[in-house]
Amino acid sequence: MTTYVLRRLVLMVPVAFLVTIGVFMLIHLTPGDPALILLGEDRSPQAIAAIHQQLGLDKPLYVQYLIWLGHIVHGDFGRSITTHQPVTTAIGERLPATLELGAVALIWSLLVAIPLGTIAALRRGSLADHLATGLAVGGVSIPNFFIGIVLIFFLSVTLRLFPFGGYVPFNQDPFENLRHVILPAIALGTAGAAINMRFTRSSMIEVLNQDYIRTARAKGAPWRRVVFIHALKNALIPVVTIVGLQIGGIIEGAVVTETVFTWPGVGRLAVESIFNRDYTVVQGIVLLAAFSYLIANLLVDLVYGWLDPRISYA
Amino acid sequence: MRWVAVAVAGLVLVAACGPSGGTSQSGGTPKAGGTATIALESELRTLDPLDSSLLVEREVFYNMYDSLFTIDPSLKITPGLVKSWDVSDPLNLKFTLQSGVKYQDGTAFNAQSVKDNIQRYLTASTSRRKSDLASVSSVEVVDDTHVIFHLKKPDATLLATLVDRAGMMLSMAAVQKGGQNFSLAPVGAGSGPFEFVEWQRNDHLTLKKNPSYWKPGLPYLDGVTYRAIPDVNAILAALKTGDIDIARTIAPKDVAGIKSDSSFIYRDTPAIGFNGFELNTGAPPFSDPAKRQAVALAIDRYEVLKNINFNIGVVGYGPIPPSSWAFDSTEKIYDHADAAKAKATATGFTFTYKTTSDPINQQLAALLQSELAAAGITMNIQTEEFATYVQECANHQFQACNVNWSGRLDPDGNTYAWWHTKGDFNDSLYSNAQVDAWLEDARVSTDQNKRKQDYLNAQKQIVADAPYVFTVFGVSAQISSNKIHGFTLYPDLMIRMAAVWKG
Repeated sequence: MTTYVLRRLVLMVPVAFLVTIGVFMLIHLTPGDPALILLGEDRSPQAIAAIHQQLGLDKPLYVQYLIWLGHIVHGDFGRSITTHQPVTTAIGERLPATLELGAVALIWSLLVAIPLGTIAALRRGSLADHLATGLAVGGVSIPNFFIGIVLIFFLSVTLRLFPFGGYVPFNQDPFENLRHVILPAIALGTAGAAINMRFTRSSMIEVLNQDYIRTARAKGAPWRRVVFIHALKNALIPVVTIVGLQIGGIIEGAVVTETVFTWPGVGRLAVESIFNRDYTVVQGIVLLAAFSYLIANLLVDLVYGWLDPRISYA
Repeated sequence: MRWVAVAVAGLVLVAACGPSGGTSQSGGTPKAGGTATIALESELRTLDPLDSSLLVEREVFYNMYDSLFTIDPSLKITPGLVKSWDVSDPLNLKFTLQSGVKYQDGTAFNAQSVKDNIQRYLTASTSRRKSDLASVSSVEVVDDTHVIFHLKKPDATLLATLVDRAGMMLSMAAVQKGGQNFSLAPVGAGSGPFEFVEWQRNDHLTLKKNPSYWKPGLPYLDGVTYRAIPDVNAILAALKTGDIDIARTIAPKDVAGIKSDSSFIYRDTPAIGFNGFELNTGAPPFSDPAKRQAVALAIDRYEVLKNINFNIGVVGYGPIPPSSWAFDSTEKIYDHADAAKAKATATGFTFTYKTTSDPINQQLAALLQSELAAAGITMNIQTEEFATYVQECANHQFQACNVNWSGRLDPDGNTYAWWHTKGDFNDSLYSNAQVDAWLEDARVSTDQNKRKQDYLNAQKQIVADAPYVFTVFGVSAQISSNKIHGFTLYPDLMIRMAAVWKG
């Protein structure tokens, strides 16, 4: 098991290396000059040249890349071009808000998906099944920013049930914190809920037709036990895969949702940094997002072993 | 919305319809206490004047730091940390400093501090103030309250420059103590009415009253909180819900509604910037002066004022606005759109106009497009992401580019950088030896009448040559709840809070 995890971690290195090249080239080849954004109305050729020199932007691109790579190998992600904050601090300050949003969105998606998916599978072809399937199609097809705007319009502006955007730290006021997180979490989690529901439904249908389920029923095991212990646990394996990918994609989804809800997380930091051409911060965030995927994939594989003892990594 | 200076000038574009400066007398006797929350149109990047380049940063600075000089609402230079001055020798400016002023960290403000601050602005590697202070060769400490600024060449604009960030004085002890994080947390660094408490980026910035402020009785408020709200509609919503007390910018379409609502006070005064679009004289089609003039003739500025700015502001003909002593009220060669005259000058050509996705900029582009079409000129609109657009305009990769200017206190700041052959903002590649000579002379002359004549001459030539098509002059506005009193309106868009109180 430990060997397996170590092997997987080592295998991440080449992937991470390719990611660094990709992110560095993409942001640096995008038109726009951070010096011009920084200087605004104070621009002059001397000031622009001075900033290029300070940031090393006057060096050839591959040299800039190697310098950056050398630093991140030593754990130094550099400082933000716009605020001079260390990149790790800038991301670290925003990460709790994003993780909270992602966690609540995930809980929301599972709370909706697993019960609905199970019911739909058990009562295949019924009204409940059709309704759940219809909701799923809607949830997947409507973009999360639109869900966000609709939620803001009805629940925040019209009915005034929830605040419009913003964030209150949990340790400052837990109740307000929850009030603020609910709408963005619903907006962010709905697409995932729809997908998870579809997976739960189809996987449950498949499992319920397996011989061991029939055996369990034939032995006289209570129906509830058969559904929840025998069937559901096994049916969740594909769901775990897809949830794992969703965890890895929290930052990606948060980019849009956090902007709509002015949520001070990593997603909004990414958007601001791209507009400001804050190369170091963008690079840091994309690396973080890539690693989230890699780690989430590893965790998914480990959870398989727990859900299905036949899968072993010895 | 980086480059906020530009963006704000674009949005606030508005009119001489309010009271022209002066203090609001509403609400009776000032009383101390309470706090006020102010909206900023974008997040700040730094709290150090040394590397600041955003208008929103200057706004916070004016309430935290004191400058060597200040302005009154008519833009006249008035005493700040410099109590009196003698500029009879244009190469050696003698300043007498206020005595007994202390920074918020308890260290004394004195002549040595002035010298150290100017030295820091001139030499620090991250300083953005070097070009502001380019004419200064050294600062001599005479005694505790007297300094002499030795200049390389006469500089008529220097006192106005020292009103702004280059003249803001900071406690060197606080700067050193702050180290690398100084620009994020300048604790005790200023001598201004309010001092730094905390800055939670993307949420709020809090200042508290400086209890030992050197101007007796001020400030009235216990504290000021700034919140960055980058959307004008959200600013209006926050004003209405009471989340903020004061704003500088709302969408022009909403001004009438706010004016008629008795729970708010709206004031404005002509601002110091200009608005319009630059034409690239270095490349076809606008290397041909006739085509530039045809565009300038075909634009109906009154339609722009009415449809885009909801008549808040005045039409603009040149670079120097009505708030300035160098304003030319006779400059009206493009007063009304004249499609026939435009057609006679040049017609049947096509050009591309670059702008950003901001809704107001988009409406403006559509209006300009239809007005030019009437004169047989085809304008294609190219909407670009902000950083790309800035780079292409700065690198002369455009035919027409929609760039506004937030304005400077001295007319030099609205002309030299833009249309001197060697100007830093001369995106249009405009070059006219006579204009260069006038602008250079105005920089070094100490006689204001002579300077004014230089600017009048330069303006006439620039407007006639049309490297830039001026559309409207905006306003500097303040929108507040009716509980906020004691405001003084300044044309430079800055909201100064020392004398403001809550009733």
